[in-house]
Amino acid sequence: MITADFRAKAETEWQNITDPSVPQIFIGMATCGEAAGALSIYKAMESALIKNRIKARIHKTGCLGMCYCEPMVDIIKPGRPRITYKNLTPETAAELITDYLINDNYRPDLALGVWGKEFDGIPNLFQLDFMKFQQRTALKNIGVINPEDISQYIACGGYKAFEKALGTSQQDIIYEVEKSGLRGLGGAGFPTGLKWKTCYKARYSPKYMICNADEGDPGAYMDRSLLESDPHSVLEGMLIAAYAIGCSRGYIYIRDEYPLAIKRMAIAIEQMRQYGLLGDNILNSDFSFDIEIREGAGAFVCGEESALLASIEGNRGMPRHRPPYPAESGLWGKPTDINNVKTLANIPSIIINGAEWFAGRGTESSKGTAIFALTGKVANRGLIEVPMGITLRQIIYDIGGGIPDGKAFKAVQTGGPSGGCLPADLLDLPIAFDSLAAAGSIMGSGGMVVLDEDTCMVDVARFFLDFAQQESCGQCIPCRLGTKQMFEILDDITKGNGKQTDVDVLLELSDSIVKTSLCGLGRTVPNPVLTTIRYFRDEYDSHINDKQCPSNVCQALINGGQSDE
Amino acid sequence: MNKIHLTINDNQFEAEPGATIMEVALENNIYIPHLCYNPDLVPGGICRLCRVEINNDKLALACRTPVEEGMIVRTNTPEIDAAIRPIVELIIADHHSTCRGCPANGKCELQKIMAHLHIDRRRIDNLRLPQNDLPLEALTPFLDYDPNKCVRCGICVQTCEKIYGTSHIYFLNRGYDTKIAYFETVAHCDFCMECVKNCPVGVLIPKNV
Ligand SMILES: Cc1cc2nc3c(=O)[nH]c(=O)nc-3n(C[C@H](O)[C@H](O)[C@H](O)COP(=O)(O)O)c2cc1C
Ligand code: SF4
Ligand code: SF4
Ligand code: SF4
Ligand code: FES
Ligand code: FES
Repeated sequence: MITADFRAKAETEWQNITDPSVPQIFIGMATCGEAAGALSIYKAMESALIKNRIKARIHKTGCLGMCYCEPMVDIIKPGRPRITYKNLTPETAAELITDYLINDNYRPDLALGVWGKEFDGIPNLFQLDFMKFQQRTALKNIGVINPEDISQYIACGGYKAFEKALGTSQQDIIYEVEKSGLRGLGGAGFPTGLKWKTCYKARYSPKYMICNADEGDPGAYMDRSLLESDPHSVLEGMLIAAYAIGCSRGYIYIRDEYPLAIKRMAIAIEQMRQYGLLGDNILNSDFSFDIEIREGAGAFVCGEESALLASIEGNRGMPRHRPPYPAESGLWGKPTDINNVKTLANIPSIIINGAEWFAGRGTESSKGTAIFALTGKVANRGLIEVPMGITLRQIIYDIGGGIPDGKAFKAVQTGGPSGGCLPADLLDLPIAFDSLAAAGSIMGSGGMVVLDEDTCMVDVARFFLDFAQQESCGQCIPCRLGTKQMFEILDDITKGNGKQTDVDVLLELSDSIVKTSLCGLGRTVPNPVLTTIRYFRDEYDSHINDKQCPSNVCQALINGGQSDE
Repeated sequence: MNKIHLTINDNQFEAEPGATIMEVALENNIYIPHLCYNPDLVPGGICRLCRVEINNDKLALACRTPVEEGMIVRTNTPEIDAAIRPIVELIIADHHSTCRGCPANGKCELQKIMAHLHIDRRRIDNLRLPQNDLPLEALTPFLDYDPNKCVRCGICVQTCEKIYGTSHIYFLNRGYDTKIAYFETVAHCDFCMECVKNCPVGVLIPKNV
């Protein structure tokens, strides 16, 4: 056990931070915050503190997921609630030090919200539209704690789930996860408990545990934010999975474009070692397990599980035909459990609160919450965790604040590059694995891009097929030649060189590629084409028959007429 | 070991346990389109053409699916045709050579598939064809490589690997640009001609040395 002493000490320390005797400053310093200028905010605040000889403590936190408010800073002044400030500049950040810490003017003009009851006109942060419809489970600690300090995680209840798991039988944990109805959040939505059970029952050893943190979808950053803002929740999920299945070794496969995530994961793993949470006889039990970070080399398809295995084994990252599935024959031919970052971050809450609690939210066949990166033409952009079954309208209008600049909504693209585009008619569609699939899209790994009236849907399809043909590994014929052919046809259509037969050819090719490709990439990349044809057929017809781009996007067609390209 | 009994296209067959549907079908003169299958190699399952219907339900790869007692296999349903015809058309659209003078002419697996499916050239005209013929490339000191004809089935790589433990030729690049290239490793290509013999089409051309 993590000694009661240590847990008590961590809790006291945390108490001293949340109810402090000197001001506590929290600066959101995940990649997103740093990109928005958090580093210069940090420097400005630090020098303002020194200049004014103020004693205060600065904490680097991860991100709260409110991209539209970055850079953000929280301040707790003794006796006051935690106040979050938004869209700061180095100047306004320095002003906060003098105005609030010295003169007690808490600058309502810069404030976003308070952590708790409304305070003198500043609203409760968690009652803001962006927050109040969310149910944060996997994301519960992001932006709250310092991701580089294990004791803050422990003070917030961390590793209690793992301790509870150690006192439970392996079968009971797997049964609990099965009962919860949790489905993998890496894209395929496969029932997590079932995967664990298959791997547990596989007769060969050693067994391996892999956390898939490849996140290659352009524009996706859910996994990155979680790794950077709350690494221990993912690691605790891994520990529980490894214990339940009987794995002796684990790998986290992170893309090398995520240096901060890699650094924070490495720090977190080191701290786990210090506290006896990794290595031989973890917390004096019979369970031994260690984790290693593997950096991914970049290609999108390396996130596909069989390609990921090849890559860890040191081979070219190419998918291979399945079955056999990794749970039976994975890394070096041994049983291997592969789970996504978000899937794993859900595990501790399931162990602590029980399967019924988890299954109490969501829909019949999709339990719990979904995590999306809400981007595109929407007022409030950011990272959201919402109950399964919420409608697209609630996400885009209630949470996202609608379409900016008075423009009209046109479509929403869910699920990353192989997701579909859904039209306004489907705004009341409840979001779940199956409802999205029935509409021609996918949950995918959680991308959600809102498109407004200025978007040409043929151009959108062309954009995604361009991505697909570049990312195809080139191994199987339908995907290698099919994505290339579909891209060439779409490119021609947007240039005014479409043929009458093109839409039928696209439909036929899509159908064949979906049915025959070797891996999930080929099987899903036609989705943007299929859905834009299904819901926006008139735009294809205008491009092909009238040589017009109704949204005035396709350069070659803007004045009508055929291009000479 | 007991024999396995199965039905292929309404006819009864007997097979050895462990045999794949492809092996049993070919043995009994039932043709299933294939490009990446070679009886001497481990099937990679990458050309995706050998679709068959199993037990009136799902489509599976004949080259990778072992036969089972009582299995009902069909090789010629409309669903199979709809799944693989577009792929074959894509290959032909990308394969812009005439067969005249091709070393594979007459024993080419692609010609066999085209005949089997009665490929209609007019449908291929609806596709976008590559702009230019690519030049022949020197693959090894003894072999030229015709990138216009290569279907990227990987049989040459596997053949070389099987003989020498490590292949001297291997896939290069990704996506559409994938091709076979020479990797001079420990030994060099010693002109055994086995890959040339196994190539299902006419890509590898021995140089006159
Ligand atoms: C082309 C492609 C890319 C993928 N990329 C990722 C990825 O970046 N992260 C991920 O977790 N899963 C990815 N997947 C899904 C994985 O193959 C696998 O289903 C997943 O990691 C399993 O974890 P889960 O059960 O927790 O969802 C990808 C799949 C495909 C076909
Ligand atoms: S579907 Fe595409 S990415 Fe997947 S194996 Fe085939 S060529 Fe490679
Ligand atoms: S490889 Fe076959 S189809 Fe291609 S040119 Fe030669 S004979 Fe004809
Ligand atoms: S050269 Fe022949 S055997 Fe090798 S990949 Fe190309 S088509 Fe296949
Ligand atoms: S605020 Fe961190 S991801 Fe948006
Ligand atoms: S022969 Fe079966 S996939 Fe190529």
